[in-house]
Amino acid sequence: MTGLARFEQAVLPHLDAAYNLARWLTRNDHDAEDVVQEAFMRAMRYFDRMKGTEARPWLLAIVRNTCYSWLEKNRPADLVALDDAGPLAADGETLGQASGMETNPEVILLQSANRKLVNQALEELPVAFREVIVMREIEDLSYKEIASIAGIPAGTVMSRLSRGREMLRQAIESRMRRAS
Amino acid sequence: MTPRKEPEAEPLIARDATYYRAPDALRTRIRAAVRAEARERARPMMWRWGGLAASFATVALVSWNVAMLQARGSDEERIESEVATAHVRSLMAESHLNDVISTDQHTVKPWFEGKLDFAPDVTDLAQAGYALMGGRLDYLDGRPVAALTYRHRLHVVNLFEWPAAPGADASPQLLSRNGYAIAHWRRGGLQYWAISDIASADLLEFAKRLS
Repeated sequence: MTGLARFEQAVLPHLDAAYNLARWLTRNDHDAEDVVQEAFMRAMRYFDRMKGTEARPWLLAIVRNTCYSWLEKNRPADLVALDDAGPLAADGETLGQASGMETNPEVILLQSANRKLVNQALEELPVAFREVIVMREIEDLSYKEIASIAGIPAGTVMSRLSRGREMLRQAIESRMRRAS
Repeated sequence: MTPRKEPEAEPLIARDATYYRAPDALRTRIRAAVRAEARERARPMMWRWGGLAASFATVALVSWNVAMLQARGSDEERIESEVATAHVRSLMAESHLNDVISTDQHTVKPWFEGKLDFAPDVTDLAQAGYALMGGRLDYLDGRPVAALTYRHRLHVVNLFEWPAAPGADASPQLLSRNGYAIAHWRRGGLQYWAISDIASADLLEFAKRLS
């Protein structure tokens, strides 16, 4: 099989995953398309190095890198440094306390909140939290895969997920309150 | 916090968020780009060296063009000097100025027929203050050319016309030589050189009416 055929068979099927991630990180159709196209060109260049690894996380790592370079250049404000151990919110609620909320029935309610509301709240999350939630919940990747894509330890993936979910929950709740 | 292993235990808050699927247009574009890139990579090494050779050729061509440009520059200078000489000579004796004396462009233009291998453009500009006086044959740039004479108040304008090398039309460009104003332009395959001792602004005005 030629290199082109192998690439088309292994990598092209993950175009939707690539676009979904880019769309959530850039928050814009047009920019997502540009980023994905550039990412595919990079993927072709590095395709030889993919050997033995899963195509989807491999491609998504390239998409993520391309997104971050793009954000750095076009929306540096989106990339504010974050402190993984820092307090969650103004009320000083910590990660440990927040994780207790996960089984709260409230969360079940949130799951039925309409899609538009969830989309908006997720879009407004800082990118570091947004990306782990998108990869975990929308793209169904494992912690390990997310860790390799984002280049962070699995423990950080989990803490960011947990913290991100809490932030998302609060954002959705406040939106619901405002709406009612 | 103890990391949970089972995804079932996770509160999937964003599960309802949109899964953005790639638009068809992007799919098509990426497929095409991937194939184009693959073709590019498939080019044998020799071709790539061929590309390098081609770029050397480009450099050579550019240098040649620059050389030609410089050559053309000196060509223009030579013509400019010939134009000035022809103008002065034409004024040395009244009889040198015109072979056909007429203010009628329909008399002057046919006079050139059979004397030149091109049809010169003959336009009277009396209305604008440049009255056609007549015409003669002259010899410039190594060939016979049409020379038309105009009178602007007490001054004489010589207008030389002959075929130009292939190229686009060019609007009048002002030059000066030995105190004479010279205007040069190209139109419809002919090159035009006008020269006079009138103000260069007036000569430019004259040239603009003809170009």
